[in-house]
Order: sequence, then structure tokens, then C-alpha cells
Amino acid sequence: MSEEVTINHPPKLRIIPPLNFCPVEHQLYRSGQPTIINQSFLKDLNLKTIIWLATEEPQEEFLDYCSINNINLEFVGMMDDYNYNYGSNINPWDTLSDSTIQKSLEIISNKENYPILVCCGMGRHRTGTIIGCLRRLQNWNLASVSEEYRRFTGAKGGRIQVELLIESFDINSIEIDPNMTPDWLLK
Amino acid sequence: MTEFEDPFQMDEELDERDLNITPQYPPINNFIEDQINIRSRIDELDLTNAFPDKNGHLKENLKIQGEQEEYEEDLDDKFDAKVHEVMNNEYTKFKKNNEPLTPPENFAPVVNKIYRSSFPQANNFDFLKRLKLKSILCLIPDEYPDLHKEFLEKENIKLFQMGMSGNKEPFVVISHELITEALKVVLNPENHPILIHCNRGKHRTGCLIGILRRLQNWSLTIIFDEYRKFAAPKERPMDQQFIELYNEDSILKFANDNKLLPLSWD
Repeated sequence: MSEEVTINHPPKLRIIPPLNFCPVEHQLYRSGQPTIINQSFLKDLNLKTIIWLATEEPQEEFLDYCSINNINLEFVGMMDDYNYNYGSNINPWDTLSDSTIQKSLEIISNKENYPILVCCGMGRHRTGTIIGCLRRLQNWNLASVSEEYRRFTGAKGGRIQVELLIESFDINSIEIDPNMTPDWLLK
Repeated sequence: MTEFEDPFQMDEELDERDLNITPQYPPINNFIEDQINIRSRIDELDLTNAFPDKNGHLKENLKIQGEQEEYEEDLDDKFDAKVHEVMNNEYTKFKKNNEPLTPPENFAPVVNKIYRSSFPQANNFDFLKRLKLKSILCLIPDEYPDLHKEFLEKENIKLFQMGMSGNKEPFVVISHELITEALKVVLNPENHPILIHCNRGKHRTGCLIGILRRLQNWSLTIIFDEYRKFAAPKERPMDQQFIELYNEDSILKFANDNKLLPLSWD
């Protein structure tokens, strides 16, 4: 027995950004791992590059989504300082290696890779490390960097290890090519 | 069986006739006070008005929905011009060259060239210059400090001021009309880049951004999550309720008439 139903308005598309999503700078975004429910949102960002910082492979669906949409997925989280290849001897709780930070910031300081999404599993500590180092590169003071990092770390708060890493990051280790760098990163 | 000397005596074995099981209640002359303790604030006001005090006088009616009554702002929401002045003077006195950039607290881009933050201080001016702002929307009623006016003039930034009270339990709510007017300013591309700020960048700014997210069709769950991130540790359920219940009809009409939606990421 089917009752007659009158539909008087079209269903509204509900846009769901990934966990911990936030714009960082023009066409540069941060978030946790996107899932299938975030796809209509991601489509609007027209991403060209995703910097993947987790030590594990992302979900299958996410890999498929990236390849279908021609998004360049950079697995920088799996880089190993010691033999500079995609090693398996990295633990998820380790802080980011120097080469991971270096490579991520190189990608971020190249205009050709934009729009970029920086993400890890939850968008807290690994993503926070990269954004923190980027802020130092932008000459932000450390207190403001820490404030921003902690805004995204949830109830458990920030990790001192991450903040030590951000503090000790050598901003001169990143070479900035004025012709290739987005305007907001130029001094 | 009148004496119970055995401490391990079971209840079933007791003779019912020897037990006084009539329930005892406290005397009821404190009834009104007792009620007050468990009732909500609104009911409490009604009750204290409805009953005369010991001398037989009715309490003066409390003004519940006064027009723009004086009310105490949450410490966080209150703009203290004096403190600002002292801080800013100190800063200008001791400023060094080549200081690192200091964004205002709670600073973040919202979408495209719309930014949010707390009340900027003199030490944030160098940072703000880099945003090349065209306008600033200030959501608190207090007069903009002279130092700031100077900065705006020098940088050629237009100031929109829409002073609104924060959502405050139990009776003060942000006016829907003011939010609609504020959104008209924010959505207008001619005003971009624009910085939205209140005092701490938590509550009033959070409400406005929340509604902006609704115009982007964001799921309410994510909107609340974003609100809480910026309002922590002073998240207000009332603000979240406000975001949810705001009637978007008139701003939607305005936005559609002027082709300001959808707000796509550039």
C-alpha cells in the first residue's frame, strides 16, 4: 500500500567537509583523511595535489577518487630519513622525519601544485607539524604557531614533541624560488 | 519478637507490625524556595514575582525582554578599551624592527578572501597589512580606538561596524536582522578581502561564520565542530542553537538576487 506523497521542494545537498578541514592560505587547505561522504565537497576545491602524511596507505576509495580526478597524491609521510625510500620501519606515533617536512614544504612552495590539500588520518599532529613549519617559514612568531596547532588537536591537546619539532625546524633549509612561490609566501 | 539483637537478621523475618514504615517528608513551608532550586531561571523569575516576600510586598517585576537593556557582558566578550590602550602603547614603545609576524588570536581564513579573528592589536598590524584588506567588519558596539582608526586610514581600509550583543543566557540573543545585514556586507565581493572580528573571535564571529557555512550548505555537525574549535574552551550551546535556528530566507533572497551564491572556492 503506497501512500501518495507530494514533494514540494528538492532535496538539499548537504556538503560535508572532511574532519578538521580549514583553509590555510589561498588554495591551500588542511584536513583529516577524506572519506566517501566528503567527495562533493572535495570536488568544489578542484584539488591538484594532496600531501598524504600518514604512515599507512589511505583507504582504497580515497586512492580511487584521486586517480579518477587526476589528483596527484604525494606519499610524503612514508619517507624514511635513513635510507630515503618508502620504508616500512616508521611507526604511526613517530614525529615527522626531516625529509617528510622538507618534501612537503617544497611541494607547498611551488605554485604549479595548487590547489593543495595537506592531510593525515585525523588532521591533527602530522598535518599540524607541516602547517606549523610553514607558518615559521612565513615568519610567524612561535606562540601564534602553537595557538593555531592546538586549535586542531582536540580535547587531548597538543603534543610537546610536535611543538619542539616545529620550533627546531630550520627555516633556511627550504629554498624559495621567487618565480615559483605563491605570492603570500614571498617576504 | 520485639528485640533484634542478631545483626544478621533478615528483613523477611522482621515483624511488620513493629516497624513504622510511614514515609516521612520534610515540612512543606519551604515549598517555594525548594521549587526555585529545581526550576529554570525563567520559571524562577515568575515564581519570585508571583509570591509576596515576608513583608507582604510583591517583588518589582523584572524586565525580561527589555529593548537594549544594560546587561553584563561575559568577561570574554567585553571590550576593554583601557587595557587595549595600555597594551598598544607599550607595544609601540618597545617595538623592534624585523619582528616576526603576529596574527591576531583565533585568526583563520574562512573562504576565499574572507578572514576571521579576534580584536586586532597594534602588534598585529604588520601581519594585517599583508592581507591587503579592503574592509573590516567589527561586531562589537564599542568605538574603534584611535590607533586603529589611524591604521585603517593609512591602509585605506573601510570599517563596517555592527555592534551586536553576544548570545547570553537567558535573555540576550543576537538579532537576526543584524546578522542578515552583516552577511550582506560579508558576501559582497566589492568588500573583499574582508576581516570579520569581535572581541575574542569566538562567539559573535563564530555565529556569523556558522551561518555563512549554512549558506555554503555545510552539514550542521561540521559547522558546530568548527564553531567549537574556535570558541574553545567557552563554547556556548546557545550560539549553536542560534546558528541552527537562524532564518535564512531573507539573506538567501538577497544573495540570489545579487548572484552572490554559491560561494565557490577560488
